[in-house]
Amino acid sequence: MIQELHKKLISDNKYQGELLTDTIKKCQDYQTKYNLFVTMLEPKETKITDNLLSGIPYALKDNFSTKGILSTGSSNILKNYIPVFDATIVEKLNNLGALCVGKTVLDELGMGGTGTTGHTGVVKNPWHKDYICGGSSAGSACAVASGLVSYAIGSDTGDSIRKPAALTGIVGYKPTYGVLSRYGLFQFASSLDHVGILTRNVLDAAIVVNELKGRDIKDMTSINLDTDLIENINASIKNKKLFYIKEICDINNYYKPSATLVSTLKEFNKTIDTIKNLGVKVEEISINKHLLEALHPTYITISCAEATSNYSNLTGISFGERGNSTNIMAMIKDARTKGFSTLIKRRFVIGSYVLQKENQDKYFLNAQKVRKLVVNTFNELFKKYDALILPCGLPAKKISEVSEIISKDTNILENHLVIGNFGGYPSITIPNGFVNNLPIGINFTGKIKDDANILNIANKVEEVLGYKDQIAKEVK
Amino acid sequence: MKNKFDENEITKLADNLLIGLTKEENKLILDEFSYIEESINKINGITGLDELEPLTHPFPVSLTLEEDIPTEELTIDEVLKNVTDHDGREIKVPKVVN
Repeated sequence: MIQELHKKLISDNKYQGELLTDTIKKCQDYQTKYNLFVTMLEPKETKITDNLLSGIPYALKDNFSTKGILSTGSSNILKNYIPVFDATIVEKLNNLGALCVGKTVLDELGMGGTGTTGHTGVVKNPWHKDYICGGSSAGSACAVASGLVSYAIGSDTGDSIRKPAALTGIVGYKPTYGVLSRYGLFQFASSLDHVGILTRNVLDAAIVVNELKGRDIKDMTSINLDTDLIENINASIKNKKLFYIKEICDINNYYKPSATLVSTLKEFNKTIDTIKNLGVKVEEISINKHLLEALHPTYITISCAEATSNYSNLTGISFGERGNSTNIMAMIKDARTKGFSTLIKRRFVIGSYVLQKENQDKYFLNAQKVRKLVVNTFNELFKKYDALILPCGLPAKKISEVSEIISKDTNILENHLVIGNFGGYPSITIPNGFVNNLPIGINFTGKIKDDANILNIANKVEEVLGYKDQIAKEVK
Repeated sequence: MKNKFDENEITKLADNLLIGLTKEENKLILDEFSYIEESINKINGITGLDELEPLTHPFPVSLTLEEDIPTEELTIDEVLKNVTDHDGREIKVPKVVN
């Protein structure tokens, strides 16, 4: 789609104006319907160059710094914050002539998975407005799924690109950790945070990352990935070896499974058969259930601890909303008390708890050790297999039924995508049909820096599944 | 299930972070804190952790020193654009030292 748009922009000098005017008009309409933007922008036409992204509109998650443009993180504490610098990703996109038409709503500061906790309200699913988009990159997913833009930028700490992609029937790609610079991204949990892309086909995801990847002197954890991500995207995947996890995919592991769960796993198994017909070997492997059940607690422990530390800079003193008091500590406390929602405060309290001197070994350090065990386990598996394939979870929940309250139940099906963050693995979600008239997704995850291979597999599977380039058709 | 936490403990944890909680917020967090602890305690059910080093970064990286290249940085005026209150190049806050 990006390639076709580019060809049209090159060959028709009136097309950029038409595309831009149409997109900006649609932004207004879709904002009214889905509440996907914090800020809508009206970029000016640009010079169309040989670069594939020049002149193409995109949407940007509102947790990236944009110079002179409101950047809120969807939190009240930053509701009037206008940065004085661009994130590296934004700077690169600007230099390429890409046109940002809006900054999208996220779960407050990236901490949530529903798209319902941003300070400007709930983002609605363009397939059905009573349902969530998932999060935290909710607005970015909505912008792409509704057909407003061909790509959007997101961030992914636990599954924040790949889960909303599944729930809105699009592609969500998180490259290997560090391939896209995190400089200027509002850091949530630095060791887990990834920048990534949402698109309506795999090739577009590869195109955008190909343009934006690279070591950034401003992000010491960024890396060079020399591989071209497009070159082998159409290569045959015959004889590739994939695996899935029995404990997640076998219906017999679930006590009294719901009809929705049965249908979701049925669609997954159908896709496995389709993939086998491409000459791909797909094997079922078993992983210690206790380790899988520890994925979400490990994520909560590490991410809350890192967030507690990272967001200690939100004091309202040098930026953000300043608190009221004649005492500086009380001033900071007032700003933070008023600026954070209850749910965010709860995450910080958990972070504070696991970092207490008496709890650090028991929780925080042990969580980091469990992370090591998980990564060791999957590193070994990736020596034998090209990729892990798994269902992304059930279809979207109703807005009226979501809860961000942490449950003691550990739902592995809904929380396994965090494996990709633990190991920094390249991981991509593509649409895998519908259950209850709502989209579901499948995910491919592979070894670090093997992005080209993962994109190749996802691209070839996308070809045979029939959901490429789909745009949400609201069923209600 | 008896809650081993109490309101004061939740308040103390929040105070450490310079965050105030309303009574309702405190109750909400308190009500689920036992479940949170039970959940994160699943970490300690995993065997063999003693032999493992904590993982703090997804994969090993070698950090290299960068070349010293002069770049244009923000001016004081730019930095102060987001400050609510300042006097010249200094950020104004309440008196810290008596």
